[in-house]
Order: sequence, then structure tokens, then C-alpha cells
Amino acid sequence: MELVYSERLERKGLAELPDRELAIQARGGDMLSFETLVSRKTPAMVSLARRIVGNVEDARDVAQMVFLRVWKEIHRYDEQYSLNTWLYRIATNLAIDFLRSARSRERAHGATLHLVREREESTAAGATRSAEDRELARLFEAVSGRLSEKQKAAFVLRELEDCDTKDIAQILGCGESTVRNHLFNARRILRKEMARLYPEFLRGRTRV
Amino acid sequence: MSPICAILRESFDDYLGDALPAPQRKMLREHLAACAECLGAAAAKDASFLFARPMPEELAPDETARILVGVRTGVGHIETERRIEAATRRRFAGVAAAAAVALLVLTIPGGSNARREPGTAALPAPVPSSGTSEQAAISSGLAPAGLPAEAAAPSSSATVYDLNPGAARGEPRVVWIVDRGLDI
Repeated sequence: MELVYSERLERKGLAELPDRELAIQARGGDMLSFETLVSRKTPAMVSLARRIVGNVEDARDVAQMVFLRVWKEIHRYDEQYSLNTWLYRIATNLAIDFLRSARSRERAHGATLHLVREREESTAAGATRSAEDRELARLFEAVSGRLSEKQKAAFVLRELEDCDTKDIAQILGCGESTVRNHLFNARRILRKEMARLYPEFLRGRTRV
Repeated sequence: MSPICAILRESFDDYLGDALPAPQRKMLREHLAACAECLGAAAAKDASFLFARPMPEELAPDETARILVGVRTGVGHIETERRIEAATRRRFAGVAAAAAVALLVLTIPGGSNARREPGTAALPAPVPSSGTSEQAAISSGLAPAGLPAEAAAPSSSATVYDLNPGAARGEPRVVWIVDRGLDI
């Protein structure tokens, strides 16, 4: 009883610490700090992974892998650099790897899996999100299938996560001009796909 | 259309061309999330504007807890693996050190022989005590110091080992006399 109580008190104190401090303590082997960081960053990691891999079940798996990778590599964390950029980098790379393997699996098993997942998603994750966000998220998942992994990651980081070009270049491990190129191509493909798949949606929007 | 809408609509091209400074960019995104008219106008220009907004994943607390449990389990595995690896490394280091010592002993000239008891297989065959090597050893002053000449002369129980491993390299000759009859 005593231990649980003190742990709760400690957790309460940790919850007020900034990310950087938690990461430094976790680097020293403090599991409680690491767990506090995990709890704090889980929604952002799941959200980013979901936009890239396309469904919440896989996104949860990716988020778990992200934190395990962070624990393995925490000794390399340098507090001079942004923790978020480091986390986004790990998450984006793992999500891209996951998407690549998932795409090859889907090519082998057909599109059935995707349909089943879509149905699961609508019942599992949708309950708490606003209707418009849900609709836009569904729309994005539908039209972003033609983007390459890197284009998709660049677009998600730019538009949905609001990262700047320099950060995206760091996260993806490429130059800023490459990022701009990815973004340009992603927009072009999304425009085409929206016009092809949802012309009525665009007409409806433009009438507003 | 409000004046702010008019101003922000002029920045659509800059937004798409990545030429908008961060504060204006943020302002435009926030405005598009709140103003349906401007979002419609932006989407008519470029459909990707529809997604220019944060779509946060609202996870239920039990889902976050489930991920945390998974992470905890994974960390447990990682730590177990690390412990096993460290133990394996220690064991390997011990074996390697023992092998290095053995190798060192074997490569020192005469090293292994010097540590062996006479009569073991690795030693050179004993020279008969009445042979010339025995006499040579005595005459060259190898007899124990302080003993009379008779005592220095090897008895019939003496065995002379005439080791000469480094003769080719010009190293000194080593003669080893074991006399069990001497009471020193």
C-alpha cells in the first residue's frame, strides 16, 4: 500500500515536468519518467502513425514500437535537440516501414483486409472524434493510397502535424528541396484523386 | 466576406508554395478550421487544403493504458535480453582470457617445459648421466655454489636435461640437473 501511494505521488510530480526533463531522467534509467513520457506522447504518436499507416489498430502497434525503440536508444538522446523531432523521426520511419510491409501483404491478400479494417475503425475509434474530423480523416485515408510512403509522410507531417520544412527534412533524413518536391507531388496526386473519387464533395464544398 | 477572410485568401498561393512565414501559416490554418466559406474557397483552389488542419487522435484512457502495458512488457523483454547478452559477454571474456593465457604460456620459448615436472612427456629425453654433457655441465660451473667438488659431481641418481631450444638464435644453452641423491 505504501509503495503504491508513494509511486502515485512521484507520478504526480513527474506529470508537471517538461518533456526534456523526463527524457533526461529516463536516459538515466528512471522507468517512471519514461512511462510518464509514454503516456503523454501516446496520442500524438498514434495520430501520426494512423495518418501514415491508415488504421488505428496498426497505428497502436507502431506507437508501441516507437516507445520500445526510444527505450532502446534513449542513451543516444541529446537534450540540445528537440525531443518531438526525434520522436517524430522514429515514428515516421517505423510507420513507413510498416506501411511498406502492409502494402506488400495487401497485394498478396487482396483488398478485403482494408475493408474489414475500415469497418472496425468506424466502430472503435470514431466515437470520440467530431463528425467532420472523422469524415476528413476517412477521406484522407481513401485518397492518400496513391501517395508514396515518403510523400504521404511529408504531407502528414506538414499539413496534419504542422511541422516546418526544416523539421520534416530532419525527420525524413533528406534535404528541404526534396521535402518540397514530395509535398508538391503529394498535393498534385491528392487533387487528382479527390476529383476522381469525390467530385461531389468538392462541388459541395465550393458551393458553401 | 470579412476583411480578414479577404486578406487570408490572398495568401493561399504562398501557403502552397511554402513561402508563408510560420505565424501567418498558423493563422491561416486556424482560420480555415473555423471558417467554412474560406475552406470551400481554398479547397476549390487546391483540394489538399481540406487536410490542412490537425486531426488529433483522441484515445480513450484505457487505450493509452493498454499501449503503456504493452510498452512495459516490451521493456521487460529488452532488459532481459540485455542481461543475457551481458552474461554471455562476460562468459566469453573469461574464456577468451583463459585462452590468451594458455597461448602465451605455449608461445614463450621453453615456457611450457620450464613449468613441467621432469619426466613428463613434453621434456626432451634424458641424457645418460655418464655422458659428456654431464661433465661439460660440471666443468662450466653449473654445480650448486658452496658445495664441495665431490658433492658437485652428479651421483648415479642424477639426471641431466640438456635443453638447447634457442641455439639457432644464439641464445645461451640451458642444462638442468636433477639429482635426487643430493640433500640440500
